Amino acid sequence: MSNRSMWSLKLSTAAIALIPAAIGINYLGKLVAGLLKLPLWLDSIGTVLSAMLAGPIIGALSGIINNIIYGVTADPISTVYAITSGVIGLIVGVMAYKGWLKNFKTVIVVGLVVGLAAAVISTPLNLIFWGGQTGNVWGDAFYAFLVSNDVPVWLASFGDSVIVDVPDKLATVIVSYLIFKGLPNNFISIFQGQDKIEEL
Amino acid sequence: MSTMTLYADRDSVIHNHVSPLTKVLYVVVSIAITYIYPDLLFVLLVTIFSGMILTLGKVFRRILPILAISIILIISIVIVQGFFNPENQTELFSIGFLTFYKEGISYAALLTLRVFNMIMAFGVLILTTKHDELVEAFIRKGLSPKIGYVLLSVLQLIPQMRATMGKIADAQASRGMETKGNLSVRMKAFFPLIGPVVLNSLNSTRERAIALEVRGFNTGIKKTFLNAAKEYHHQGFIQLILWLVLLGTIVWRILI
Repeated sequence: MSNRSMWSLKLSTAAIALIPAAIGINYLGKLVAGLLKLPLWLDSIGTVLSAMLAGPIIGALSGIINNIIYGVTADPISTVYAITSGVIGLIVGVMAYKGWLKNFKTVIVVGLVVGLAAAVISTPLNLIFWGGQTGNVWGDAFYAFLVSNDVPVWLASFGDSVIVDVPDKLATVIVSYLIFKGLPNNFISIFQGQDKIEEL
Repeated sequence: MSTMTLYADRDSVIHNHVSPLTKVLYVVVSIAITYIYPDLLFVLLVTIFSGMILTLGKVFRRILPILAISIILIISIVIVQGFFNPENQTELFSIGFLTFYKEGISYAALLTLRVFNMIMAFGVLILTTKHDELVEAFIRKGLSPKIGYVLLSVLQLIPQMRATMGKIADAQASRGMETKGNLSVRMKAFFPLIGPVVLNSLNSTRERAIALEVRGFNTGIKKTFLNAAKEYHHQGFIQLILWLVLLGTIVWRILI
């Protein structure tokens, strides 16, 4: 990956074929989390994993297309958050490229950055579309608590998003990293679009 | 092959005589105007209009389960805005010690109608349009065929992966994996469930990439279409009206 820009738009076929798989993994993550009644969504594991494997462009595309597909097949409301998902893929891709997946500590930093970024992007969307709420019971209870204590609506809405997004995205990034670490090396190399074959 | 879709096959005006791109424009315009002009009566009229189009497309009953998904968001909007909206002044009614205010409830009603309209407008598109026809219409308009492939293949891939998931869940359960119990037990069960599916799907991704390459996925030659484009009449006229409605709402909002 070193001799290749992470912003290259010449995507390999393997990288493009990774996008549907990433969206499928997102879907299954959400399904399994629901099945096990975990208190998180874990619905962007595929987006994060594809960004780790193939860089920010594929990560962002996976995120955006994921929400569009989910919008037209199940829940139209999720289309609103396509930008948030895209930014998640973008940030993970950039940070992975810059070497932030070295060890567990740096991965936690990546998770926190992603969670905060998701909250920052979601807040204006929540304010515009539903007056600042997220539809998550705990987040909205916190929102109501803040607003009733005279905190401005935008700040309360940001608090609402932070409570919902940061733990979820942190867990998502950690899970994805653990899966990424467990992948065989020949899996990783095909998605990074290295054209050069090394001779022994 | 099973695919994920909400498409309902009916014989209606909306199915047969409105092109996919016109429906996409309808989604955009009808959602946009409810946010541009924040008036309860106006938003109600737009929502009723979306409902009428759904009825015309004979798919009104299909929208109800999709509306039901957003019910938690709507309940939360009504409760939180009704109690805590900072502009609350006029008391509307109270249940016990809980008091609902007029300002908050009318704002909540506006937000709820917008959400309903958003879902119904989307319904007009997704319940009456085959997804392959929609994607092909976009490709004809200049969307990259590669992205088109991604969009269509996802819809076939997800049911396949769900089937794989079922197999793996059964296999792991037969090896004694616990899926019930306290939180840490359930969290531990997450990896044996998701890990094999991820590996499996990445492996088949590699195979699919080779299969695609062999079939000339990456050639720069202009791609042709398998299905002939369906002919629609008067689409320009309908789209012009939609653009005028959007423009009219913006002008109206600025003037009033």
